[in-house]
Amino acid sequence: MANANAAQAFVPKERLSDLQLVALNGMFDERDALSVLRFALEELTSHPIAMVSSFGADSSVLLHMVAQINPHQEVLFLETGKHFPETLEYVETMKQRLGLTNVRFLEPDTSDLARFDPKGDLWQTDPDSCCHIRKTEPLDAALKAYGGWVTGRKRFQTNDRGVLPHFELTSDERIKVNPLAYWDFEDVKAYRAEHDLPPHPLFNVGYLSIGCAPCTSMVKEGEDPRSGRWRGRDKTECGIHFDVSGKIAKPQAKGQSMKTLFKDGQFVEDQWRDLADDDALIDLDHVFMPFSLYIEHKDRLVGNNGALGLIVQPGDDVHEIGDDVHRFAAIAVEFPKFADGRGYSSARLLRERYGFDGELRARGDILTDQVQFLRRCGFDSLVVVDGPTRNALENDAIAGVSVFMQPTGRDIEVPAGTRPFLRRVK
Amino acid sequence: MYRYDEFDAAFVRERTEQFSDQVKRRVAGELTEDQFRPLRLMNGLYLQLHAYMLRVAVPYGTLNSRQMHKLAHIARTYDRGYGHFTTRQNIQYNWPKLQDVPKILEELAEVEMHAIQTSGNCIRNVTTDQFAGAAHDEIIDPRPVAEIIRQWSSLHPEFSFLPRKFKIAITGAQQDRAAVKFHDIGLMANEKDGQVGWRVFVGGGLGRTPMVAKEINDFVPHEDLLAYLEAILRVYNLHGRRDNKYKARIKILVHETGIEQIREEVEAEFAQLKDGVLTLPQDELDRISTYFAAPPFAADADDVLDAEQHALENAQYAKFLKRNLFKHRQPGYTSITISLKSVGEVPGDASDAQMDAIAELAREFSFDELRVSHEQNLVLPHVKKSDVRAIYERLVEIGLAEGNAGLISDIIACPGLDYCALANARSIPIAQDIAKRFADRENEFGELKVKISGCINACGHHHVGHIGILGVEKKGTELYQITVGGDATEQAAVGNILGRGVTGDEVPDALEKLLNVYMDQRENADEPFLDAFRRLGEAPFKEALYG
Ligand code: HEM
Ligand code: SF4
Ligand code: SF4
Repeated sequence: MANANAAQAFVPKERLSDLQLVALNGMFDERDALSVLRFALEELTSHPIAMVSSFGADSSVLLHMVAQINPHQEVLFLETGKHFPETLEYVETMKQRLGLTNVRFLEPDTSDLARFDPKGDLWQTDPDSCCHIRKTEPLDAALKAYGGWVTGRKRFQTNDRGVLPHFELTSDERIKVNPLAYWDFEDVKAYRAEHDLPPHPLFNVGYLSIGCAPCTSMVKEGEDPRSGRWRGRDKTECGIHFDVSGKIAKPQAKGQSMKTLFKDGQFVEDQWRDLADDDALIDLDHVFMPFSLYIEHKDRLVGNNGALGLIVQPGDDVHEIGDDVHRFAAIAVEFPKFADGRGYSSARLLRERYGFDGELRARGDILTDQVQFLRRCGFDSLVVVDGPTRNALENDAIAGVSVFMQPTGRDIEVPAGTRPFLRRVK
Repeated sequence: MYRYDEFDAAFVRERTEQFSDQVKRRVAGELTEDQFRPLRLMNGLYLQLHAYMLRVAVPYGTLNSRQMHKLAHIARTYDRGYGHFTTRQNIQYNWPKLQDVPKILEELAEVEMHAIQTSGNCIRNVTTDQFAGAAHDEIIDPRPVAEIIRQWSSLHPEFSFLPRKFKIAITGAQQDRAAVKFHDIGLMANEKDGQVGWRVFVGGGLGRTPMVAKEINDFVPHEDLLAYLEAILRVYNLHGRRDNKYKARIKILVHETGIEQIREEVEAEFAQLKDGVLTLPQDELDRISTYFAAPPFAADADDVLDAEQHALENAQYAKFLKRNLFKHRQPGYTSITISLKSVGEVPGDASDAQMDAIAELAREFSFDELRVSHEQNLVLPHVKKSDVRAIYERLVEIGLAEGNAGLISDIIACPGLDYCALANARSIPIAQDIAKRFADRENEFGELKVKISGCINACGHHHVGHIGILGVEKKGTELYQITVGGDATEQAAVGNILGRGVTGDEVPDALEKLLNVYMDQRENADEPFLDAFRRLGEAPFKEALYG
């Protein structure tokens, strides 16, 4: 199965159905990365799954896992001709260290290079096309024999990736396998340390995400690790992650003027903004400020003229500002992931314990089915981007029940007459 | 038992409709799996190796005959003719089709059942003693309080996205048959100054880091219980770890923070919540309790088993009488355990015909009541002693008359590699091999709890087996690690690992060696295995196993 060339081109008939994919993700929901990878390489389809590695800053984890499963597994590497010498050196280091015997270099078509990038500077004028001929085309050609491929993508890496599953279908219905989907930076670090894996030589000098030399810059402390890629350009993903058929999917337009604030039954213009780096801390009006910054400067803010807002992240302890709630006209509680339910407790404490009666908004990963919970915990405005949830809100079709088994102390829930004890109706 | 009123009925109906709609959206492709997963999990729908699995809640393990008939009907109509009773005192269907799920849920709702909160990171179905309301050693019947906790925790808006799942167990008896010290919160009835209240334990659990719960408060009165639970849950929701799902249970929070500090935080929160909306009024407790009033027992029921003669003639029946009856609080009555561990069968499985027959037994002989035990058996809680023999005969007919409750073949085993996506190794065939090997000698061994899990998640409770068996994987082969000395009762203990794993074929031999040590060295036939182990220590057992 490891021999890609012997296999015929991937036949659509063997494609997974959507439901099979669902089942697959369910099966592996709680399994570790090694099991996902082993299953992908050994059992997933009758067609081999390709292992592609960038030999970048965090490639060592998957490479180490591959070596454990089968050191003779073919590993594809896109030799774009634009790599840092350190990257090529790193390929050799890893081959030796892990005993990988079958790293295959995929190179751009020489006639394409001659035609479109004779001087080797296409990256400057048209990086999408450069990526296309140096990455997408060669990979696309190589992957013809495969039923899919493995990526090292992780949910945390960029915002677009918040819901990355272990297995996905591409637009031509091949399978993409993301064994590290649920990993975060700490997991990677811990794994590297545990197995004593050598870092990419550039990693320690500030390159957290490494691609071709011309398109990679250093990442500053606290920045998204991938922000060093194509810095200053409207490009966050390499085309190969979207679609191997060569059409680079358009990233969603950023900063469009969609109204995202839902309040009093409709989407409305938002009067508020978040504190910007260059804001002075005086006379802030309709500005949300980060929790820690508020704590640090609360005394200076006593005489602030204007409506002050506060951002509460999961992990921020609202008891610390409990006595100050009257200073805020609005508090925004963040839900970076819908599964993180800390914001519900924060909201109830703000409302019920500390008597906050300004606008309490929920922001972040909010889906239809949470809306009722959020309201019951005291939120009265929501910032929502998820399409189906927006539709449901606009059509007043929020999933929910009309009777509740426990009180939450909000006045939208009135005691149901003589009904005993806890129960409430809407 | 508790009966839905219009309020409960409306709640379940709406929730069922809501989930049915979500399933339809999923089947139609309008929801992605990522959007669907949390929804289906909150509604008891898992994905596993072969198919979806639907978990149906059996609140505190109590069923009536109508409900049991419905479970049988669902097994017959939508599954492959059987259901699987689990250690969570509920029932699981292993083969429902996704498009049938809404229909199944509608059918369940007809008999006041549902699958809400049987999975997902929320407060799960509350579990309790399978003999609640019947046991002779009860300080208080825990079911009214269990019902109140069920209501309070249903779709709790603040606690539906906890760091991890949350399990509460409650017992009102002196002997703990609900393993409360191995739950996130365990409640044990306690008497203080002539009043009954609750000892509260927190942070127990099995899984990859087994822990015995710590006492956080030795007496919480009924009226404050919900406020106290809400305080614990709030502290956990805000401070439980979310960075690593293996460290997200409250046991890790308690372990890492220390019980003293957790107690301080909980008490501070409780001080604010106390005497608020959650205060449980006595009349509400009384009202709920009426649902659980004792059935109309015959005061003059004969207090001897009418079957002595028969038992002499029939060794199987004698064994049944010895093992499967549990002392009832009412003279003339007893509780019967129906073992779902017939030798050679899948532990916990019952066919549709068996379920129907058991429902009829409950209706005729046990005031229409049935229980599911966390040891994966069924119980007829209130049976006249004079009816035992008739019931036995009927159980023989359906192949469920095994008199092995608490014996070596009464094994808890998780689904393992046969059904579970997470498994390292098979559990069910191992249970079957053990039962076959020792069935004819099991009486000699007396009480002996063997528990098997196919992986470290410990669904089979192996940590608390007198003998525990854990499937591990090494270089692609299934191996089994053996532990000795675990105990799920009030003397809670986690078993000691004896040494390296053995292969599946070797497991029965390994057990034989352990049992030989016990038989040779026990003080007398009345010293159970666990006591002997505690007296002897692990050395002789280790020696026997690994030389
Ligand atoms: C076949 C599908 C199943 C899957 C995928 C599954 C998955 C899991 C997982 C991942 C855990 C660990 C959770 C944690 O420690 O945070 C767990 C624990 C548990 N499971 Fe299952 N399980 C399955 C079936 C069952 C069955 C059939 C039972 C009952 C017989 C069961 C009873 C339990 C119990 C009691 C625990 C808790 C152990 C503890 O307290 O840590 N599971 N299960
Ligand atoms: S990353 Fe830059 S140099 Fe590399 S292929 Fe893309 S555009 Fe060209
Ligand atoms: S213990 Fe492991 S193998 Fe057994 S059911 Fe649970 S998760 Fe599956």
